Amino acid sequence: MIDEQARLLSNREVAADFYLARLNAPHIAVRIEPGQFVNIQVGAGVAPLLRVPLSVSGADREAGIIEVLYEAVGPKTRALSQVGPDAALPTLSPSRQGLAAPSEGTRVVLVGCGICVPPLLYWGLKLRQRSYQTALLVGARTADKHLSNELLAPAADAVHLATDDGSLGHAGLVTDLLQNELAEKGPCAVYCCGPHGMMQAVAAICLEAQVPCQVSLEEYMACGIGICVGCAVELATAKGDTDYGRYARVCVDGPAFDARQIKWGNAWPT
Amino acid sequence: MGQRMADLSIDFAGVQLRNPVLLASGTCNYGQELLPLTDFARLGGLVTKTITPQPRGGNPPQRIVETPAGMLNSIGLQNPGLEAFVEKQWPLLADLDAQVVVNIAGFTVEEFGQMAASLEALAGIAALEVNISCPNVEAGGDNFATRPQTAAAAIAAVRSRTQRPVIAKLTPNVTDIAEIARAVVDAGADAVSLINTLVGMAIDVEQRRPVLGGITGGLSGPAIKPVALAMVWKVAQAVDVPVMGIGGITSARDALEFMVAGASAGQVGTASFANPNAGVEIVEDLYAYCDERGIDRIASLVGSLR
Ligand SMILES: Cc1cc2nc3c(=O)[nH]c(=O)nc-3n(C[C@H](O)[C@H](O)[C@H](O)COP(=O)(O)OP(=O)(O)OC[C@H]3O[C@@H](n4cnc5c(N)ncnc54)[C@H](O)[C@@H]3O)c2cc1C
Ligand SMILES: Cc1cc2nc3c(=O)[nH]c(=O)nc-3n(C[C@H](O)[C@H](O)[C@H](O)COP(=O)(O)O)c2cc1C
Ligand code: FES
Repeated sequence: MIDEQARLLSNREVAADFYLARLNAPHIAVRIEPGQFVNIQVGAGVAPLLRVPLSVSGADREAGIIEVLYEAVGPKTRALSQVGPDAALPTLSPSRQGLAAPSEGTRVVLVGCGICVPPLLYWGLKLRQRSYQTALLVGARTADKHLSNELLAPAADAVHLATDDGSLGHAGLVTDLLQNELAEKGPCAVYCCGPHGMMQAVAAICLEAQVPCQVSLEEYMACGIGICVGCAVELATAKGDTDYGRYARVCVDGPAFDARQIKWGNAWPT
Repeated sequence: MGQRMADLSIDFAGVQLRNPVLLASGTCNYGQELLPLTDFARLGGLVTKTITPQPRGGNPPQRIVETPAGMLNSIGLQNPGLEAFVEKQWPLLADLDAQVVVNIAGFTVEEFGQMAASLEALAGIAALEVNISCPNVEAGGDNFATRPQTAAAAIAAVRSRTQRPVIAKLTPNVTDIAEIARAVVDAGADAVSLINTLVGMAIDVEQRRPVLGGITGGLSGPAIKPVALAMVWKVAQAVDVPVMGIGGITSARDALEFMVAGASAGQVGTASFANPNAGVEIVEDLYAYCDERGIDRIASLVGSLR
């Protein structure tokens, strides 16, 4: 667990309301792994009150730099988008469970949505450096909620996009792309980050196809370090009200989990 | 920084505190996660997350939402239960260089008594803080803390089973908090702490659904400080036991406001979420404040409202 004063190097808009921030945070940069997040303080602890948890979308260990990609959606992220270069931002890294690599030679499929791709970008880049074949499938509502090819391309050998309105790539859901990928190319290891419903659908497809699936979860967090017990996610092994282990804390027990560990809905098989 | 002169120590109902700043229940878990981020040796102490007789899984997510200058939580008293606490959490807590107050709750009067009795053999607990803001299953789920009789019954049950200082933690969700404070003091409480969270709610208009899995939650943070201050001031006049001020303390100035209003010590809760070292920084700033103003003993500020 590291809390360091990160220095903002740049913070630029890369798509409609999407920002890419580069931070000098040498202590975090040497340790952070794909799938892990940082918790950035943008206010003085009154308004906004809480920190913003953001997945790390890239890191340069030698240069001591980390990158985050975020969408300005509300008070905290909007405040962050207004911060200028050289500002000092208290940045905490719980450094817990990141994504785990598949066995050597396994084909990798990364499945994300609009602004939920950052952990997959860092992961894809790392896996390619280790000679894994990777495909990146991204869904979004509309074309302008997709990141540019320049940002997506380094993470994968092939990038496939889908939009709900058909304005870019496949007209439909990112899960259609995953079904195609599985039908055409067969076994692979799937890594997924997105809204709950999308991750549930991806987890179900992977269970059915008997391919491994890891998810990077984003529960609402107050502390990000395990002290509030707020970021609870119900586990598939949950055994009722008096089971202290019924919920895991996403911030310290995750944020990456094997999809089979999670109880996605009441009807989820356990 | 010049040489420190001020004496920040406080005798709180017989508990010797290095300084008047403790971490609040439910906002520091059982201390371990904070070890790399703060220094307990520089705090007055910490209060554990509430322990109940049986383990509890807690409420369904979403459990947290930020609100203007505050936040709502609906954790649902998730805790490992008494037995696991004694075996696993306590030995680690006992190792901390800090006064550890153990916060307990029950769902019947008898359970409150049992909790106190079961902890009596553990050496090193500084005091028991009794969270009476829980449903009384023998009285249709009514909250113990909301009526003088049930609040007093829970405290009396604890009082009769422990030699340790008993701190009754009061809820602000009542008409007259001074009446409840008098009832728990008459029942044997050595001190009171207040306030617990205020009942609040957040609604997602698009979905027309409550934001929190527990529908309503507890409001905390800077937003509740004025409410807490008024209640501490009122209670400090109503009872002659020490008062622990809680609610939105984020800075040394906030802590001082509570002391002037009549609190002998204060607890830092939500502020630790944004800044895990908030408690220690508040202590540093209290030293600076006292030294600058030539205040020798911080205890002299308690209840100094003119
Ligand atoms: C582990 C993790 C990794 C994340 N990674 C990214 C990322 O890489 N890029 C990105 O754009 N966003 C990411 N998010 C989401 C991001 O933290 C929220 O969008 C942000 O906190 C919104 O705050 P706000 O005040 O701007 O908006 P609000 O209007 O307060 O909220 C907008 C949305 O964000 C959610 N949210 C608000 N506060 C929090 C919080 N403290 N914790 C979690 N969710 C919250 C709300 O439920 C709502 O759906 C991540 C969240 C988590 C938990
Ligand atoms: C996430 C969270 C969990 C809490 N859990 C408990 C608890 O288990 N027992 C208890 O007595 N109070 C609990 N509280 C209440 C706090 O101890 C404190 O009374 C309240 O938050 C007001 O202080 P603050 O504004 O400084 O946070 C909790 C508060 C929060 C925010
Ligand atoms: S966010 Fe507080 S425990 Fe995870």
